[in-house]
Formats: sequence, C-alpha cells, structure tokens
Amino acid sequence: MAAKRDIRLTVNGVAYEATVEPRMTLVDMLRGELGLTGTHVGCEHGVCGACTVLMDGRAVRSCIMLAVQADGADFMTIEGLASREGELHPIQQAFIEERGLQCGFCTPGFMMSILELLQETPDPTDDEIKDALGGAICRCTGYESILKSVRSAAKKLLAPAS
Amino acid sequence: MTFEFPKSLDDLPISSPKWVGKPVNRVEDPQLVTGKTEFIDNITLPGMVHCAILHSPHAHARIKSIDMSRAAALLGVVATLTGEDAERWSRPMYTTPQGWGGYVLATDKVRFVGEPVAAVAATSRYIAEDALELIDVEYEPIDPIVDAFSAAQPGSPKVFEEHDDNIMYQRVFTWGEVDESFQKADHVYKESFRWNRVGANPLETFGVISEWDLVDDTLTCRGAFQTASFMAMGRAATFRLPSNKVRFIAQPHGGSFGGKGGGRGTDITLMLSRKAAGRPVKWIEDRMEYLSSGGSQAWDRHYEASIAVNDDGTVTALRVKLLDDMGATAEGFGATGAVKPMASFTGCYAIPNAEYDLTLVATNKLPASPYRGMGPPPHNFVLEQMMDIAARDLGLDPAEMRRRNFIPADQFPYIIASGNEYDSGEYEAALDKVLEMAGYEQLRREQEEARAQGRHVGIGVVSTIEPGVFDWNAYTVIGTQGIGIPEGVTVAIDTMGKITARVGFALEGQGQYTVVTQLLAEYFGVELEDVRVVLADNLSAPPNFGPGGSRLGVAITGAVLGAAQRLTEKLTKVAAKLFEVQPEDVELLDGMLRVKSVPESQLSVANAAAIMLNRSDMLPPDVDPSPQATFAWTAPGRVEPDEQGRVKSYLTAANACHLVMVEVDPDTGQVEILKYYIADDCGTRLNPANVEGMVQGAVAQGVGATLLEEYVYDDDGQLLTASFMDYLLPTIHEVPFPEKAALVTPSPFTPLGAKGAGESAIHTTPAAIMCAINDALLPLGVRAKEVPASPNRLWKLIQGASG
Ligand code: FES
Ligand code: FES
Repeated sequence: MAAKRDIRLTVNGVAYEATVEPRMTLVDMLRGELGLTGTHVGCEHGVCGACTVLMDGRAVRSCIMLAVQADGADFMTIEGLASREGELHPIQQAFIEERGLQCGFCTPGFMMSILELLQETPDPTDDEIKDALGGAICRCTGYESILKSVRSAAKKLLAPAS
Repeated sequence: MTFEFPKSLDDLPISSPKWVGKPVNRVEDPQLVTGKTEFIDNITLPGMVHCAILHSPHAHARIKSIDMSRAAALLGVVATLTGEDAERWSRPMYTTPQGWGGYVLATDKVRFVGEPVAAVAATSRYIAEDALELIDVEYEPIDPIVDAFSAAQPGSPKVFEEHDDNIMYQRVFTWGEVDESFQKADHVYKESFRWNRVGANPLETFGVISEWDLVDDTLTCRGAFQTASFMAMGRAATFRLPSNKVRFIAQPHGGSFGGKGGGRGTDITLMLSRKAAGRPVKWIEDRMEYLSSGGSQAWDRHYEASIAVNDDGTVTALRVKLLDDMGATAEGFGATGAVKPMASFTGCYAIPNAEYDLTLVATNKLPASPYRGMGPPPHNFVLEQMMDIAARDLGLDPAEMRRRNFIPADQFPYIIASGNEYDSGEYEAALDKVLEMAGYEQLRREQEEARAQGRHVGIGVVSTIEPGVFDWNAYTVIGTQGIGIPEGVTVAIDTMGKITARVGFALEGQGQYTVVTQLLAEYFGVELEDVRVVLADNLSAPPNFGPGGSRLGVAITGAVLGAAQRLTEKLTKVAAKLFEVQPEDVELLDGMLRVKSVPESQLSVANAAAIMLNRSDMLPPDVDPSPQATFAWTAPGRVEPDEQGRVKSYLTAANACHLVMVEVDPDTGQVEILKYYIADDCGTRLNPANVEGMVQGAVAQGVGATLLEEYVYDDDGQLLTASFMDYLLPTIHEVPFPEKAALVTPSPFTPLGAKGAGESAIHTTPAAIMCAINDALLPLGVRAKEVPASPNRLWKLIQGASG
C-alpha cells in the first residue's frame, strides 16, 4: 500500500486538511473523510453523474477522480448551495416547485451541473440545457420536470432581486 | 364497527378541499434538495466494519475448495464468511416456486456469474476489497445452460441436480371455450415474440448495515428496504429466530421500482456481524454488482401468441404461450412477474376466452427479479402486436380495431376471462381524447406524405390496464401465501395540537409522505406544517407492507382515513361531554367539533386532544387519555383463486391510451420519436403532480426497455452488460415529453376513488412504440418482433428485407 499523502482543499468555503491513500477516490474522501454525504454515488464508473461536484467552478465526477488530485482545489458540493442560514438557492426552490425530483438521489449531482450551466449561460435554450445534462441519469423523473426546473431556476436567477 | 370510507373528496369533513387533489409541494423535498436525507450509505455506526463480497466468475461450476486463510490474515480484516457458515446458521433462501434455490453463499456449486461465494468484513471498504483478491477458490467448470429452449428440453443438463429437469413451473390455464373459439373464428393470427432481459436500476443500489447482537440474539438491520417488515419476517425464518428479535429500519432510498433486491446482502452482513462479535457490518452494493448479481434483471421471455378474430374485428379468444427464463433460482419473487399478466390478461378488451400456457425455466443466469409493472409490460407488447396484425389484415384502422373490442363503459365492474375484476373505466373516452389531442386524421395524412417521400414513419395507438393494489392472492398459484396485505398508520395528536403519523415504509420517491400529510391536514382542518410523518421500524409500526404492485397510494389513503375516523370518534365523545350532548349530536367540520344544532358550540380538534391529555376531570368515562388511533387497511372482498387461477386480485384497473409517432432510419436502424400523446385515467388524483411525475418517469423506463436497455449473456453465461457503458439507460436526449391529459373515472371500490398509479406508463409505452415501429416498417414488409428494437437489431431486420 502506497504511503498516505497530506492534502489541503477548500469545500463550500471551508478549508480542510486530510491524509489519504493515493488510491482513495475524491467522492470517498468527501463523503467518508469530510462527512459531506450530500454528494451521492450511483455507478462509481463515471456514467451516471450522481457524484458531480464543482472543482474550481467546473463540474467534475468525483467518483473517477482521486482525492490527491484535489490538493489545492476549491470545491462546491450540494451542502454549499443553500445559504448557511438555510435559505434555499433558486435552483433548489425551482426543483421543489417544478417537481424536479422523485427519489432525489440524482438531484445533488444534477444541481451541480445546472449551477455550472447557469453561471456560464444564464438564459439557456432547451437544447443547451439538454446538452449540459445529457451525461447524467435520473431513473425516476423522465427528465421533463428537471428541464422545467432549470428553466424556472434561470428565470429566478435573472429576475432582479426584489 | 364498520367503516364507511369517503367515496370522494366531497365526503371529507371539510367545506371545500384545500390540500387533497391539489399539486401541493412535497414535504420530502427540502431535505432531498439540500442533500440531507439519510440514505443508507450516509450512516456510520460506532465500530462499524465494511463488507465486500466475492462473486463467481463462472456461470456453472463445482466449488472444489475455498481457502480464506490469506484473506483472513490481511491487516484490517475482521471476519470472513463462506457457504459453510451459511449452511450452519441459515436456511436455504425462500423461493417461489418453492425448492429452487440454495444458500446465500454458494455451497456445492455456483449457478450464475455473480453468485456470492465468500465475503469479508474489514475496517474499510478498500481493505475488504483487497482481501477478496486473497481468497483462493478452486472451481471445476461445468457446461453452462444458457439458452431457455434447450434448458427446457427433456434430458438437458440440470441447474439443480435434485430436480428432474429445469422446469420450475409449468401450467396451462384455460378460461372459457378457447379451442371452440379458435375453430369457429373467421380469422386466426399467430406470431412469436421475444422480450429480452431489462430491469429496475434505481440510481441508488442496495445497501445495508447489519448487527447481530450475540448477547440476546437480536438482529438489527438498517437498509434501503422497499418492504422492511416483509424482509424482517424473512430473516426470522432464515435464521430460525423469534420474529420479535428481528428489527428492521428502512432508510429513505434512491428508488426501487421493485428491483432493489437485498436479501442476500442482508443475510451475508448479518452473518459477518455474528462472526465479528456483533459489530455493525455495512455493505453498499456497487453498480457492477447490482447489474450482475443484484435485483437488476427481469422478464426474459419467449412468446407465442394467437388470436381468434371475426370479420368485424371482434376478438373472441387469446392464447399466449410463455417460456420465461428465470435464471438460476426462484429467489426474490421474480416469478410473480410471469403470473401478474393474469390480472389484466385481455387488456382493455372484452375477449371472453383465453388461455395461458406458462413455463418457468431455470438457466445459469442471474435470478430474475421484479421490475416496475411486474410482468404485464411484455405481455401487453405481445397482445397489442396481435391486435395490430389483425387490424392490418382486416383493413381496419388500429384505433378502430381497439374501439370495437373495448369493454364498454356501462359494463363495470367487469370480470375478465382470467378472473380479475376491473372496477371502472372509460376506455373509449381515453382513446377519443388521445385521438383528438394528436389530431389523428391529420397525423395519418402526414404519415402518408412522409411515406410518399420514402420516409419510414409509423403510428402506434395502444390502450392498456394498470392493475392496481396488489394482493398476494394473485400469486397463490406459484406458492405464495396469504390473502390481504394490511397497510397501517398510527395517527396521534399531541398536547399542542400537532399531528404525527407513524408509518412503516421509508421514502422511495413516490411522494407518499406528502399524500399522508395532505390527507390528515384536510381531515382535521389544519395546515400542512401541522402534520409530520415519521417512520417506524417493523417492531413499532402498525401492520404494513410498503410500496409494491401499485398499492401504497390507495392503501395508505384507506389507513389514514380509517385512523382519522377512529380518532374523531374519541374526540367527538370529549366534545359531547363538554357540551353536555350525545356524541351523535357532534360532528367534525373544518377542524371543529360542533354540536349539529348549535354550531356556535364548537371545540377545535387541538383543544379536544389537549383536554384528553391534560384534563382527566373532563374525560368521558369510556375514553382513555390517548388522542391516537391506528388503522390498517386491506382490500375488501379478496378470496382464494379457483381451480383455473381465476380470482379478484388487484382491486383497481387504471387505464391509459398512448399514441406515438416514430420514424425509423433504415440506414442506421435508429428510431426517432416524433410525437407522443397520453390520456391517463387512474381515478381520483390525490396529488396530480405526483401522478404526472410517475407517468413521465415510467415513459422514460418504457423507452429504455423498448429501444436501449438489454442484459446480454454470451454462450458461456458471461454477462456482457455489467456497466452503464453497456447497459444503456435513457438520458434526457432519448426521452420524449408527451403531451398528457388526465381523465378521472373514480374507483367505486377505494377510499376517495383513487386507483393504483405507481407503475403507470411502463405498461403502455413499449407496446405503443413497437406498434409504431411496425407501422413504419410496413412498406418494407418486415416486422419487429424482438424488444429492445435496438438500432443494430432493426438495421439487420431492414437489411434482411431489402437484401
Ligand atoms: S457515481 Fe460518479 S458518475 Fe456515477
Ligand atoms: S429522482 Fe430518482 S434518480 Fe432522479
């Protein structure tokens, strides 16, 4: 077994240090070492998107990255989406209102991809939404309500703060 | 005391419904969208160790020896387990039909690739998986039995030596004058079909944490259990323990669709815990394990069907012969999927005579599991192809063909040939609605134009039944026991007037906690926030089963209304004493207990409960100070089947009509869904947004099953689709968003008139798409008879036509 390594990273604005085996996956570190269990694991081979988190602002699949690759990076996970006082993010509100979830297991991953999309493309077309989400799997909803959630979240984010 | 359940929303004790029947937001969602819901893998218990399971690489082999010594010696390994332990401590797995299974870890031989052979518990999952590499197993491979037809031949090599052959079950059910009808018919059509293995694949795999307390021999399991109480009972039997020593706590889980599996993993972790001095043992199935050895695979079917039809298009008889490849064992209730079509054998049609020739065969593949719909989706595909074949030959429009055979709306309740009773329906209205939405005539013209341009465009119009509210009596023919499945709830009002409902099933995605909340808020005239639904383990919950067979929405509605009524009777007595009137003079309306003749004399439900709890001086003598009530609901009027398996089993019959327009690209075999319309009638919709979500989700699964998903085994019994790279689930790019309309024909048999609706469109989508594909292929003179109609398969078919 290779020697453990020390890494430092920031997740949702909080700095962490961890000592991990080189083979440990990023998602296992986030969930197991840091206790951030909101990021889920659906396939562990990079296909379903359940484990998606933002790394330096880009959506990545944390099941096919190693924890040591996270050294020095800045992450956002589902736990960082609502405000610290518990106020839901517009994406979360939209998912509730538009029924963008059933079992909710895929939801954190989808939301991270959607956050990336809406940061880059605040007013996406349906095709742009589909392209951004086309690599993720939801087994429950049939995607229609997820698409509606994205449209609604985009609207909420674009609306001038009242 | 007999219960009069409210037949419709108007019968609830409120002036006008505020919550029920409205698309209220789900109470489940705030936790889910923030990642806070406690899925099983989020839980860590003190002293917990992690399990990894070694699976057989062979489809069929004798186990000559297993040596665990190197694995046991690895730093961090706490316990190891083999079939010997299973033999010593447990009974062989329960199977339906009985006697077709082994122990949870292989003993004498392995019977499928992926079969658990040994297991390890270690301080981390990484170490546990390392240890698997140190297990030495010597196998002596035997020729695998992979093809269902050869397996069913007399003299075939056997999956189980102790049986005479590989036939797990064989029976012909005959209903009515079948032979005569075929003799007398103007036309007889015959065709064979193939439905390949597909399955549930919830996004969360199965997971469990088990503890075997060695001091007092109690078991505690937390896990992603679809039916926790049922699982608990099974464990008590498996380990010969008193059933009240087995405690099961269901965690919220990421979908199930009938295919969560988990029996083996639960038993293995329990025995590992026993070996590890009672430490909690966690096992999280990984996706490849799920695909190759979990509850992932269903419906591996070879069909022959024939129908007898008169010149006017009336179908007089239906014959279906099914060879269903169950895989290596009959564990996990997969066989129920072959029996369930009897609950809706003749679909929406008044076909008076029918025959089901059913054979279940064992092969060296993964044992079949249940999957959403539980078996009718392939049967419906077959029936609807036959309807189209007949329509085409008779020169009838497919929609007209169906219309001529529908059970008329005035004939309900209607008993179908195979014995189940349909409660109500308006099949013609649903068809008309779909035709109108689609602009059917115009669509047919568009198809003609497309054809004239050489494009292969086709339309399918299909109506189906979703049998709702499953009951075990449907399955006694394959050896299940019992009639009636109670679903219970305990409703309590506390001293502050807040309401808590205790149920025995965990979150799974259908929004049932929301439905319970809506019903109670409505009944007692409070806000949604005043109601909370909590989960009880099997030892403290009222009798329950949980989701399955499109039953929970109806069953829990009955339970909640029953408990609310019981509770109201107590509260009414309290109010009657206070107002010095008789209880009959008091009624509940809009959350107030009022004296009927003096409406100003009223007491809120909250205050009545508070009086019960805090003022024994005001308590009527026959009322105990407990503002709580429990009620368990079960479907009325269920009995045993007759000698031909006929029985009123599923209480409700929801109906859907789908119209799909597709285009097949002859150069690639790709199917593009151009248009899709649905009219869906599942009676009263308690939460219409829940129902719509179910319909759309089931369309996606139907599209997956029809065009993409397939478990493929090679001739050696190796699974070629053991990852999501190979087993193709539909993404947002493949799933159509049909235009949907809701019709409401309430059930006369259920509380509030709701019908089972959880399986939904998976009953219809495959049949409808396949009808559309075959309509598109018509000019080419070929017919797609195999599902999935993957590009490869269609391309070959089309090449064969032009070549
Ligand atoms: S869990 Fe990472 S992509 Fe599926
Ligand atoms: S909501 Fe269940 S997988 Fe998406």
